[in-house]
This record gives sequence, structure tokens and C-alpha cells, in this order.
Amino acid sequence: MPDKSNVAQLRPRAVEAVVGGSSASRFIDIAGVEKSFAQRGGGAVSVLTNIDLTIAENEFVSLVGRSGCGKTTLLNIIAGLENATQGAVSIAGRPVTGPGQGQGVVFQQHALFPWLTARDNVAFGFRKAGLTKAQRREQAMDLLKLVGLEHAAARYPREMSGGMQQRVSIARALALDPQILLMDEPFGALDELTRIELQQELLRIWEARRKTVVFVTHSISEALTLSDRIVLLAPNPGRIKQVYEVDIPRPRTRTHPRFNALYEEIWSDLSS
Amino acid sequence: MRRALANAVAPAAAILVLLVAWELGVRYGFLKPYQFPPVSRIARGFVELSTIGFPTGVSIWSHTLITVARVLQGYVAALALAIPLGLVIGAVPVLDKLTAPLVVFCRSVATLSLLPLVIVWFGAGELTKVFLIGYGCFWVMLSNVIAGVRYVDPMLLRAASTFSVKGLELFTRVILPAALPRIFAGARMALGVGFMVIVGAEMIGTIEGLGALIMEARTFYRSEITIIGMLIIGLIGFAITSGLGLLERYLLPWAANLDQVRR
Repeated sequence: MPDKSNVAQLRPRAVEAVVGGSSASRFIDIAGVEKSFAQRGGGAVSVLTNIDLTIAENEFVSLVGRSGCGKTTLLNIIAGLENATQGAVSIAGRPVTGPGQGQGVVFQQHALFPWLTARDNVAFGFRKAGLTKAQRREQAMDLLKLVGLEHAAARYPREMSGGMQQRVSIARALALDPQILLMDEPFGALDELTRIELQQELLRIWEARRKTVVFVTHSISEALTLSDRIVLLAPNPGRIKQVYEVDIPRPRTRTHPRFNALYEEIWSDLSS
Repeated sequence: MRRALANAVAPAAAILVLLVAWELGVRYGFLKPYQFPPVSRIARGFVELSTIGFPTGVSIWSHTLITVARVLQGYVAALALAIPLGLVIGAVPVLDKLTAPLVVFCRSVATLSLLPLVIVWFGAGELTKVFLIGYGCFWVMLSNVIAGVRYVDPMLLRAASTFSVKGLELFTRVILPAALPRIFAGARMALGVGFMVIVGAEMIGTIEGLGALIMEARTFYRSEITIIGMLIIGLIGFAITSGLGLLERYLLPWAANLDQVRR
């Protein structure tokens, strides 16, 4: 559970992000990004068009929208896993040309290496850091502790529940010590209870480790529970329809009147 | 508990009834013994095979040993060639495109149809038999190794790329382990092919080996010996396949759907 003092510290940063100006507030800079795919039989399908968005350091931003609105594509472009057809993304002023520039990625599911135990999956992330195997394992254990899984260090992915696997995925992404955590519907395949539990865990980690998070989700209430800002994308072609400030103190409850008001607002924009 | 017992006893009883009926059917002249040799005759044949041997001097144990040795020689040679070659072809998409038609074609040729040609090449000796087994095993193994390397879950490749793992490191750390279950499946299938080919390969130019035993028995209308040969081939295949399954479970404890893959 995040305590109030932490929450109070985090709020101004997010506000600053909207006002804009300083370099910290343009930590991730997405400028004029377009993405289109060549279509079978000629022509091109536009997946993303005119995406301009800046994200501040340590900010938590969610991308929501219908299937096919390009939110995963946008996340992949920030991750350097896909290229933009037009426009550019930069992180701390450096243009993104590929993965490994400070982006850690958590996928929806089945992205752990099945032949590695939880600990070794996490240690995989340390590979580039020039550590000995023992050091990597030790640090991996620290991260497993952070996600509450030190007891499952020796288990293979198939021996873990979906929720446990996602915790390992988060720990593995953190092993890179990324500045940015990019999460593609990481809790989308989990049951409601596990999902809420992991949302709380994620907030705790976010506040402890001071990461910038870009979080793709289908769920408006998940976005409202987690984010400083919510970016609503609309499909055909994917574009930014609306950006919402979530001005609700954490920890957030669904019964908060602002929560419901924002939910209604996003829902009506989503379905209009 | 009682139910489990009944489930075990009932099929055994059914088989027993069948065998007794078979025995009586032969004894009272409804079935011809050389077409349907009864259990008693098979048992006597087995005693004969394990003491004086058939043909005289070649016991069932040496038939079995010779067959297993031939299969293993061809099988091991095939694996030793197919695994490295398959890894290279699978890792280089251009090579895969170039060789795919050849691999599919050679895999589809019924191995025993090569027998006459192989006899022309190597004569009717040991080499011909081992070669045929090796041929059958090789293509099955090769196509499985290639497929294992080529069709790695893209999700895993994507995850690896977020850690900037590429090139040779990607191959050894991700692609190779991801391909292992498929490679094991290929090794099991190839062994099955080896035992299929051996019987045919041993029907020519030898009196030793289970295939030769079956053929020789046919010549002398000793159907019960044919049946014993069949049973032993089945048992060896079963034992080796189970052994490979255990080995896989030991070597790849992480692999899911192990029971789906195993056959």
C-alpha cells in the first residue's frame, strides 16, 4: 500500500507534465508518429496517425481504447520493437532506434522463457551488465523479493500461476534497471482478484523505484486506479482522442466521486 | 479401490478368454494352426528359440541384439548428422528455403523402396541395412530440427530483443533451448522409423536379426515364430520409447505438454 506522503510527492510531477516546459516533463517525447502497414493487394492501412504526446519522468500514463486503436503498436514503437513510418520518439532527448535504451517491457503473457526458473528468467535481464553468474542470481533474488516471489525462485513458468508469471515478468523487466517500464496489458489475462493485487504491487514498485510507466489496458477502472494521466486512443486510424488528468489522491478507491465522474466521462468518449 | 481392481481385472479376463477360445479353436480344428498359432505353440516356439535357436544355432537373444545394434548404428549416425545440419539450416532462412523441397521429397520416399538401389551401391551386407535405417531416421530428424529452430514462439524472440540479445547469443540462449522439445520429438519419431525400416532391411542377405527371423519363419510355415519376432520388436520399441521419454523428462523438466508430444 502506498502511503500518503509518497503520493503527495508524486502529484506535482504529473501536473508539471501537463503544463510542460522542463526537460523532465518531456522525458518521453512522441512527435508526429505515424504507422502504416502495406496491405495485401496494394495500398496501406494506417494504424497510427498524428501521435503527439510527451510523458514526464516518473509519470504513470495509461493508453486505453478499443481493440485496433493502435495502443500496443504505439507501445512497441516506444520500446523500439517496431519502427514508426513517420515521426520520432525520443527518450531523455535521445531518439529511439531500437530496444535497450532504457526501456523495460512487460508483455501480456507467455513471454517468460519456459526453460528457465523464475530466478534465471530474472537473471536473464542482467546478462549485459557484466556480472558473474552468482552476482546475477543474487540480484535476481532481490528482485524476486521485491515482487514477493522469493519462495518460487526455483519454479519453472509452467509451474506458476498467471499472476506469479506476471510478477516474474515485472522483475525481469526491472533487471535492466530501465528508466521506463512499458507494459502491454500485463494483467489482462488475470482474474479480477489477482489483477487488483498486482495493481497494488505495481504502484508500490513504481513508487519505490521511481520509474516512468506507460501502461496499455482495456480497462478504464484499471487505468483510473493506476495512472497520473490517461490517453484515450480512437481507431481507424489510431489517434489520440482525449487526454485525462487523474486528480484523485492515491490509494484510490472506486467509490471516490471523482473516480466515478472520470469513469463516466471516459466511457462516454470511448463509446461516442 | 474395488472399482480400480475391477478395471484392471476385466480387460485381463477378456484377453484370457480370447486366448483360451483361440487355443480351443485350434485344438478342435476350427482354426488352422499355421494361420493362427495358439498360445501353447507360441510358448513352445519361444523355448525353442531361446535354447537351440532358429535357424538352428541363432538364439532369440542374438537376433534381438543384432537388430538393436543395427538400428542404433543407423540411428546414432543419422542424429549425429541431422542435428548440426538442421541447426544450421534452421538458423539461416535462405538455406531453409533452398533445401525445403529436397527435405520434403527425401522424407516422403519410402525408405525400403531404395533397397534395390542401395544393394547395388553397398552390396547386401551390413552397410546396406545400417544405411537404410540411417536414411529413414535422418530425414525425419532433420525436418524436426529445422522446424524446431525456425518456429520459435515470436513472443520469446520479442522478449529477448527487449534485452538486446541477438546474433549468436540469441541462438544459444533462446532459439536452441526453445527448439529442444521439438528436437526430442524428432528423435522419438526417428527411432520409430528405424524400427519400421529394420524389419524390411533384414529380409535380404542375412539370417540374423528379427527381420530375418520373421522372413525365415515364413519360409518354414512357422507362424508362431513370426509372431514372436513381432512381439519382441514391439517390446523393444516400447522400452526404448519409454526410456527416451524418461530421459526427456529428466533433461527438459521445464517442458510443458510433455504427454501430448510423447507418442
